[in-house]
Order: sequence, then structure tokens, then C-alpha cells
Amino acid sequence: MAAAAAPAGERASLTRSSISGGRRARNALATVLIYGAVAFALVPLGFVLYYVVSKGLGVIDGGFLTDEIPAQVRRATGGIGPAIGGTLLITGFATLLAVPLGILAAVYLHEYGGSNPVAAAVRFLSNVMAGVPSIVMGLFIFTIFVVRRGDKGFSGLAGGLALACLMLPIVIRATEAMLLLVPNELREAAYALGTSKSRTIVTVVLPAALPGITSGALLAVARAAGETAPLLFTIGAARQYNWTLGGPNSALSTQIFSNAQTGFPAAIDRAWGAALTLIVLVLLLSTVARIVAARFTVR
Amino acid sequence: MTIPSAGSPATGSRLVRQGPRRADDAFRLLSLIAGLTVLVVLVLITWSTTREALPAFRAEGLGFLTSGRWAPNEGAFGAFGAWSFVFGTFFVSFIALVFAVPASIGIALFITELAPGGVRRVTTFVMDLLAAVPSVVFGLWGVSVLAIQAPGFYEAIGSPLSAIPGLGGAFSEPYNGKSFLTAGFILALLIIPIITSITRDVFETTPRGQKEAALALGATRWEMIRGAVFPHSRAGVIGAVLLGLGRAMGETIAAALVIGAGSQTGLQLFASGDALASRIANEFGEASGTWRSALIGLGVVLFAMTILINLAATAVVSRAGRKVS
Amino acid sequence: MPNPRSARLLAVALSLTVGLAACGSSDDETTSPTAGGGSAKPALAATTLNGSGATFPKAFYDAAIDGFKKKEGSVTVNYSGGGSGKGRTELAGALVDFAGSDGLVKAEDKASFKGGEFLYIPTVAAPITVSYNLSGVKELTLDAETTAKIFQRDIKSWDDPAIKLLNPDATLPATAIVVAHRSDGSGTTENFTKYLVKAAPSWKLKSGSTVEWPADTQAGNGNAGVAQIVKTQGGAIGYVDLSDANTQQLVYASLKNKSGKAVEPTLEATTKALEGVEPKPDLSYDPLDSANPDAYPIAAPTWMLAYKNQTDKAKGEALKAFLGYLVGDGQKLAKENDYAALPSSFTDKAKTAIASIVVPG
Repeated sequence: MAAAAAPAGERASLTRSSISGGRRARNALATVLIYGAVAFALVPLGFVLYYVVSKGLGVIDGGFLTDEIPAQVRRATGGIGPAIGGTLLITGFATLLAVPLGILAAVYLHEYGGSNPVAAAVRFLSNVMAGVPSIVMGLFIFTIFVVRRGDKGFSGLAGGLALACLMLPIVIRATEAMLLLVPNELREAAYALGTSKSRTIVTVVLPAALPGITSGALLAVARAAGETAPLLFTIGAARQYNWTLGGPNSALSTQIFSNAQTGFPAAIDRAWGAALTLIVLVLLLSTVARIVAARFTVR
Repeated sequence: MTIPSAGSPATGSRLVRQGPRRADDAFRLLSLIAGLTVLVVLVLITWSTTREALPAFRAEGLGFLTSGRWAPNEGAFGAFGAWSFVFGTFFVSFIALVFAVPASIGIALFITELAPGGVRRVTTFVMDLLAAVPSVVFGLWGVSVLAIQAPGFYEAIGSPLSAIPGLGGAFSEPYNGKSFLTAGFILALLIIPIITSITRDVFETTPRGQKEAALALGATRWEMIRGAVFPHSRAGVIGAVLLGLGRAMGETIAAALVIGAGSQTGLQLFASGDALASRIANEFGEASGTWRSALIGLGVVLFAMTILINLAATAVVSRAGRKVS
Repeated sequence: MPNPRSARLLAVALSLTVGLAACGSSDDETTSPTAGGGSAKPALAATTLNGSGATFPKAFYDAAIDGFKKKEGSVTVNYSGGGSGKGRTELAGALVDFAGSDGLVKAEDKASFKGGEFLYIPTVAAPITVSYNLSGVKELTLDAETTAKIFQRDIKSWDDPAIKLLNPDATLPATAIVVAHRSDGSGTTENFTKYLVKAAPSWKLKSGSTVEWPADTQAGNGNAGVAQIVKTQGGAIGYVDLSDANTQQLVYASLKNKSGKAVEPTLEATTKALEGVEPKPDLSYDPLDSANPDAYPIAAPTWMLAYKNQTDKAKGEALKAFLGYLVGDGQKLAKENDYAALPSSFTDKAKTAIASIVVPG
């Protein structure tokens, strides 16, 4: 503890004037550094958002959002419509897989498993899975799914599976945290009324935790929508709208990546437009998540 | 569980109780299966990737980890060594931490100690904004803005610094826009939100009594932070940093766009290099046979590295959490 | 009431007009050069063809895809690039219907092609430029030896005496040379290094779709990626196809060919390199380091690869039509996209090969 322990004999004055110049200078320096740290993060973020908004707005119009992806990427033609559709479809499919599964798994962990060995193992492995690099998820789905299906391999289905693997641990973690917050009294009251455990969970506990679970799920969806690596080797590349899970598809994130790699001015512009669209989508999901959490949480 | 009570009419006969019992067991089984799915998927990931990588491991032996040569066209099967990418991953992540850790601690301190309520909310909101931006967008900005304007800046600060004996080697030419430093900076922007968020939570759990005691004894705010907040939070912050490190190591896309795909294994900040995830992303599409196995092997190495780091992080953070509660 | 004879005349005239209009209506929306023959062949069944591979000819293929779409609206073609290596690997695994490649498949890899025998269809040729970024220097002459030494990092600075010797009138700054090459498996790399093996005795790195470049170099993904490095990094030098170099408005060097003449990478000089070259029976050929005095030394070939025995009727017909378009009407699109159309001796052989593709009845 750096607090000055005043010896019993001396009367240490507690007024500001008694703080030595050196100490005051260090305090001021620390304050400056802290403000500097904030600026260090905010300034580049500001730049990035400025570029995305200004360059993206310059490219986006109705045609851009609905036209097909052009064959000639170096020309300023076409749009990113199929990529928007692909992102919505593939992320939606991954959500349908990961969210119910994740909620059920968290229910097991919290309501049934407690601290028994199986539950402990699942909880531990769920944490491990949260740390798996997203590209490894893509490689995994590629080796066990895509290669075995020949020319039907590259598909929205494969991409959705990879994203679902990514989302699952996030949903489990968020749901378990929410279930923890539901007061036990609610459960006990339901049991006391004769409700079975499963009924209690479905009709009492989950609804009580629902705002938080929804918020957590939406954040997982927002994260999945922005992911690129799991889709690189699983969805192939398509220029037309593909509203089915079969056959190659496109996505906003992979479009940004491939356009950015070429470096052609027209392609980079298209990438900015796609980036703005993606950020708006992700922000929409995150904002809804936070509103749901804040507005509907029972305190 | 189905204790009949005076007010519930439906629980009279024994037969009725069988129905809910079966549904109850079915639900429990369903949730157990859901839980086991995590186990199954993770085992599948580990097993399938390792199995696919075995041909490369067997061909290279331990040299797979130690050799710096990556030559897919050499001889019949190619010569594959992961070392230059392992080095690249560590080097870039280290640079990212050098930027991100002071920044995150500073921002967390700002939010918990300095900022008045409104500013705190705005800053938290902005941090959430930062977290929501997908990594590919940072990569796009990096490759189309930062990597283009950086070389001049790098040369300006690198030339004088490279004259320093010893350490100067890190600042010598070439001064590439796409380099370790650029990639490390972009990664820092990506991991600042995670480290900040956890660090902030840890700072907030500092016992108020200790903080007020320090202030009451005449400490300046900085001295109070150093004396009350930091010692209490040390383990938690280390855990947060390790989590950020794990995220930086696994990040593929942002690094792939700005790291330059070189094969440099020296500590040169402004040279182009490569990392595990970005090398996989660049070469996988065309690889076959032993080459593909080797790339999956890189994935396995990366997987193992991130698991170790994340385990360490979880252990440290939960130990810190237990100390508090 | 109209008199019966004129009514009959009117009926005949009307039906003739309607008949002619029906024949010609399919041309209303197309700008296809073969408008007249549209009524003879039945329209292709609606299908999608997916291909990947070389980025070297990608600008031409992209333009041809748009042209083909106008001609055969029911067929959609996707070409995703990714490098010659990717194309060959994906075709081998039957993940795509066709592949672009600037290089030949190695003999030992042929067994891995799931669909059996495949054909090489030559499509266009183009120069590989040696593009560079050096402020104040708009013209540069290099030869094979100096190029080799630069790319293997024996020469590290732009004011090196070897470069000065070839450019006595230029003011060369003392900037560091940044070498840009491919990070992915590339037919362009293969052709570039094959040329250096042929023409530069001091070239040490051999040739292949990937090569062990020195550590202090930069890599880009695709021809476009290398072009992007050269465009944005001062002092950079890299090998880029002409189309991508022009899209990024790069400056490129003249190279001294086998006869010692310094030649710019133009389409005419590329065509000169093809003169006198006869494609082999499998339609592979090698125009690198041509002896023709007006030829550009790094004129590179490229092919489309496709399986001889197709398994799907609709796709097989569409593939034959698309490949036929590439070596037929599509050749008109080559020049405006910075590619050299092939001489008829090449395209005739290509058309014969395409005709030999077997489609299930």
C-alpha cells in the first residue's frame, strides 16, 4: 500500500498543499496517460468508421444493394445483393442450429448437471471450444463435410455448420450466466405447486431468463455474421442469389475479403460498401440485443 | 416432485403422474444430449484435424515444429516446417499486446475511476461499437489506408532508431506497409475491447473500503490506483491479457490482409512475415496431398497453442474471481 | 368486307411477318455477333458452371462470361480465380466444372483427377510485365540476368551498377528494392521462373508454381495482389499480367529479348512470340524466350482444363458452348482487355478438342 502511513508523532496535513510536487506530477502524468490510452483506441476507431461511412455511402444505392455480384470485379458495375442474402441465410441457418442446442445444453449444465463430472467436462470443453480459432472450424467442416460431397460440397449448409460450431459455446456461456441469475425461489415456488422439473424450466425459468438469453444469442449472431474465416473453404463463390442451402453461396464478409485482396480501386469501393452494410447489420443486431436485455430484464 | 396439494386437481390418479414423469425424463435426456453435443463436436474437431495432419507430421517428424522451411514443391512431397509461422504468430501477437495492454488498462481505469457518469456511458458504448466491428473491416481499412500510408512513417521513425546498437536491428529496412507492425496494430484494435471489458469488471470489484482508505490517508488518485486497485486486480488483468493473446493468435483475416505473406523470422518490425492462420487462409484453396496435410497441421499447432493460452487465462481469471467472492 | 383474295394475301403476309419476327426476336436483347444463326441451334438448358484457377487470364474470362451470358442467357458461369494451383486441385477433386491454369499438370498428379482424362484448351496469351514503382523513373530497360538478380535479392538497390548499365540516361535513386511475388500457387510464377531458368544463367531459385523466395520479400494473393503491392509500395518490383498492370496504371520495364532488342510488353510483341510455335498434340506450347527478334521474351500461355468425359448432360453441353465461345466469338474481347487473341492455327485445334468432349445422351 502506497498510502502514506503517518507516524503517530507527526501531524500529517491532509490538505492538497501538502502533497509534494513530485507526487502531484506523477498523478498528472498518470491522468494524461489514461486520457492518451482512450484516445489511442478511439482515434483509429474513428478513422475506420469515418472511412467506412464516407466511402461506403459513396457506393451504396438501391442498385448496389440488389444487383448481382459482377463477373468483372475490376469494373464499377454490379452490386452485393447476393452477398446480403447469403449472409442472412447462412447466419440464420447457423442460428437455428446453435441457439436451441446451446440453450438446451446450458439448461443441462445448470439445472441438471450442477457440478457432476459430466457437466464439469462439458463446461470445460465449452470454454475450450470458445477458443478454437475460427479458421480451424472452417478446416474441420471442410475435411469432414465438403470434400466428401464432390461438386455439392461448397454450400451454404457447410458454411452454416461452421458458423454454428462458432456460435454454440457463446450461446451456452451466455445462457448459463442468465440461468444463474434466476432466483431459486422462483423454481422452488413452482415445485411447491406441483410442477415437474422440466415444466418448471420451460414455463418459469426460461421465460425469466429470456431477455438475457435473447441478448446473448443476438450477440452471438452478430459475431457470426461478421466472420470470414469459417466461410472461406465452405461456401465457395457464387455471383447470383442463392436462397437455398445447397450449392455455392456468397457472404458479405467473404466479399469484403476477396475484393480487398485484389486491390483494384473499383473492387475496394465495393468492399467499403459491403463493409458499411455489414456494420449496419451487426450494429442493428447488437443494439437490439442490448435493448432487449435492458428493457425486459426482470430485476 | 409432483407433490399433490390441496389446490391442484389434476394430480389425483397415479396414471396421470406417469405422463409428466416421462416427459420430464425425456426433457432431461434431451438437454443431456445437447450438452454432450459440445463434447462430440470438440472431439470430432480434434480427431479429424489431427488425423488429416498425420501424413505431414509423419513425413517431417519433430522437424515440422522446428524447421523454418516451407517448400511445397520440393521433391515428391515438399518440405514443411511451421517455425516461421509460429514465430510470426507470436511476434505479431506480442506487438498487439504491447499496444493493447496499456491502452486497455488505461481505458478501464478511465471508465472506472475518472469518467463522470455520462462520459462513462458514452465510452462504454464506444467500446461496444469497437467490439462489434468485424475483423475483416479492420483488415480492409488496414490494407487500403494504413498499409499504404505507413511506409513513409515507418521509414521516418525507423531510420534513426535503427542506428541504436543491439535493439536497432528491429527497426531496420525494409520498410514495408504490409508488415508485422501493421498487422500487430490492427490486431491490437481487435483485442482492446475484450481486454478492456474484463479488466473493467475486475477493477470494479476492488473493495471500496480499500480505495476510500487510501484516499482518506491523503493518497493522490494515481497512488490510490497503484496501491488499492492494481494489487487486487493483478491476477484478473493477467487473465484478461491472456484471453486477448489467445484471440490475437487465432485471428486470421485481419492479419492475412496486412501481414505481407513473407517468410521473415527475424525480429524486424517493418518486414513482411506470415502467421499460422493467415498462411492457411492463403494457401489452403489450392493445396492437395501432403501440402494440405501440412496446412491442417498448422491448424492443429495453432489450435494447441490457443487452447493452452485460453486454459491458462481461465485458470488465472477464476482464481482471481474466487479470491474476491 | 375485304375481298377474299386480298384477305388471303394479307394472311400470308401476316404469317410471314410474324414468322420472321419470331426468328429475329431473340436478337433484340443480344449484341451477339452471330445474331443470324440463333434460330438454328436449340437453347441450352438452364444451368450453372463453376470454375476456378488462374488469375492471369481472369480479366479476359470475366469479360467473356458477361459476353457469353448475353449470348446464352440460360447458362450462368462463375469463375472465382484463386491461382492456377487452386484450379488444378479443385478440378482434380471434381469440386468445379472447369479450371484455368497457366501451367501444365505434373505427370505424377494426373492420377488424382477424379474425372479421368482431361483436356487443355488454349484460350489467350499475354505478356508478363515486370512492373515497378520508382518515383521519377517512367522508363526502364532490364534483361534476363539483371531481372534474375533483382528477384533473388543479389541486387538490392535501384542505383545498382547493373541497372545503371542498362539505363545510362536514367536517374536512378538509391531506393531499396522491394520484391513482390505471389503467395499462392501460380501459373504466372511458373512461367516467369521458367523464363528465368531459360534465359538467366545466374537464376538459382528454379521454377515452379511456388518458389522459395528470399525472406525479405513481399507476397500478394493473385496477380491483382502483386499489382497492388507494386502500386502502393515505393521501390517495389513485381511480375504482373498486362491487364492487371494496366488496371492499376502501373509502369513496366522493357526487356531485352533473345536477339538483344529491348521490347515493351505489348500484344503485338506477344503475337510475335507465338509465330512459328506449334502446339503439341495435347495443345500445350511454350512461347517463352522466343527467338523472334520483335518478340517480347515473357509471353505466357494459358489454358482451360476440362474433363473429356462429362457426367451431366446440361452441364456438358453448356461447357462445350462456353469453351467454344472462348476460342470463337469471345476472342474478339481479348484485345480490349489486354490479351492477345490466338492465331487460327491454335483456335482451330482448340475447337477440334472441344468437339471431342463426350456428353451423356
